[in-house]
Amino acid sequence: MKPVLEVSGLKKHLGDFQLEDMSFSLPEGCITGFIGVNGAGKTTTIKLILGLLLPDAGNIKFFDKEIRNNEREFKNRIGIVLDEGYFYEELTLLEMKNVMAAAYSNWDNNKFNYNMERFGLQLNQKIGTLSKGMRMKYAIALAISHNADLLIMDEPTSGLDPQIRTELMDILLDYVKDGKSVFLSSHITSDLDKVADMLILIDNGRVVFREEKDNLLDQHGLVKGDKKELNDRTRSLFLTLHESEYGFSGLTKEKAIVRQQMKNVLLERPSIEDIMLGYIGR
Amino acid sequence: MLIPLLKKDFLLAKKYWVIMMIAAIVFPVFIQTKLILGEVFLSFFLSTLYIVFLLFSTVSMVEEKYRGAALLCTTPYTRKALVKSKYLFIISIFVGCYIFYTLTVLLSPIKIGMLDLYDIGRTFLIITAVFGIAIPVQYRFGYEKTRYIFFFFIFVTPFILPNIMKLLQNNESTVRDLISFPGPILGLLLVGAALVIGGISLNLSIQIYSKKDL
Amino acid sequence: MKIIISNASDPPIYQQIKNQIKDAILQGELKEGELLPSIRALANDLKVSVLTTRRVYDELESEGFITTKAGKGSFVAKENFELLLESKRRMVEVKLTEAWETARLLGIRKSELYAMMDLLFEEEEE
Repeated sequence: MKPVLEVSGLKKHLGDFQLEDMSFSLPEGCITGFIGVNGAGKTTTIKLILGLLLPDAGNIKFFDKEIRNNEREFKNRIGIVLDEGYFYEELTLLEMKNVMAAAYSNWDNNKFNYNMERFGLQLNQKIGTLSKGMRMKYAIALAISHNADLLIMDEPTSGLDPQIRTELMDILLDYVKDGKSVFLSSHITSDLDKVADMLILIDNGRVVFREEKDNLLDQHGLVKGDKKELNDRTRSLFLTLHESEYGFSGLTKEKAIVRQQMKNVLLERPSIEDIMLGYIGR
Repeated sequence: MLIPLLKKDFLLAKKYWVIMMIAAIVFPVFIQTKLILGEVFLSFFLSTLYIVFLLFSTVSMVEEKYRGAALLCTTPYTRKALVKSKYLFIISIFVGCYIFYTLTVLLSPIKIGMLDLYDIGRTFLIITAVFGIAIPVQYRFGYEKTRYIFFFFIFVTPFILPNIMKLLQNNESTVRDLISFPGPILGLLLVGAALVIGGISLNLSIQIYSKKDL
Repeated sequence: MKIIISNASDPPIYQQIKNQIKDAILQGELKEGELLPSIRALANDLKVSVLTTRRVYDELESEGFITTKAGKGSFVAKENFELLLESKRRMVEVKLTEAWETARLLGIRKSELYAMMDLLFEEEEE
């Protein structure tokens, strides 16, 4: 499958924080989740892709074209949702839309109006009076109304209640139906359990893994059982291990060996959060 | 590309539109009839400087607060276009002030003096010089720090301005004699000088902003 | 078509989906020439990755169960249907051969083996 976006050797020094040699690619037609704890470098990476931060090294390709040399084309073909919104809150939804729409060569106002209606948004409302969930929907309406091939979202779900988060995930699943791609950063991995196709985990400014979500879920197992099952050898099978008075639970990537060596344990499918914590060990 | 951005700047200051329009009419009249009788240049210059400063800092404050420029930079708007639109904003306000002043002269029952090209040239040059310095400084150091620099100047102005005025008034005739151009041509020369200063400042601002992490 | 993904069982997710679609085809639940859901629609409905459903369709196609026409979608294959049944039959033969070999190693006799088979059928009838 051809990549939509390819990031290679991206570096950025930012105060105490260092983004080191960030490299990954996004497969076309997929929702790729960009996960990691707060401060891992998700927003920095996204800002580098968007050109808000200037990289110390590295390059980014969009459909095989260096974006540095094709900035206008790149920005015409992506849709952006930033965590804080970055909207002029004193403007109405219509006024802000007019500023944004004029930037895009292929703005589709019918589509925008359709989305505004679908999300229950009023054009004459002031942005400052929108609730967090409404503001997010407005940001999405702005981002998906110019036939963008790639939607880039930074922490879109943070601070939203579960119902709106579910709605948001449905909007994304609907968006990718005709082969479009989404790149979505989040530290709330339960959202990604449902919608992501591909996951990229970063920590301390580095990529820890890039893997298909279902492969991750297949390969890893959440093991629960009596502490009697634990010894030096079986302990080494775990990425994380929590022990309590009543038993243990741990994440393993050696499901076959666990099944062989630990007869009386439960082996369950983990959540993405279990796996994420297994790799960054916090 | 620039017009929607210009429109946005006007929208960001929409609260002040009406007040500023009134100010553009009332200030020159007030200054000329009550403060310094018959001073066409000073009344136009002071009211225009005040209006430009107020609108520009209002917009800068809003930009600083919501960081909307960052969002606009993720769209096909270039950073260059964003910078250019700021300069265009100031020129537009200047033109607006001129139009309002002229309308006042033509329509108002209170008699105030008409602006000549020399007055326009002088006003435009000084305003360009002031903002030609202020804008790059603001792009370099940010709104907060620049505000302190501005405050400092505004604080100092009352102490320095009278001296400068005196100096200017004493030398005006000598300058005029020295460069023995007629007023309109001198005015055009001043406008030309302002455009050169503005152009240099614009390029400087574009340079500074293109290297900035947003 | 019914597809259930078990979180407890061991086969990888794509294998579970693939087997169930295969079964649906072999049991005639999915008819020849029938249009299958798009990989994205199937992924969204099953809450799995589109990369998984893509792999399922790719493998089903290479095994001759389905055909994909660019821009139109994936359909249950026509010509190979008899062949599929044949291959399924052959699979039963292979498995039976295995069972027979194991039985021989353990010294299980023909009559005993038949009895086991009878028992399986009886259980099913109940």
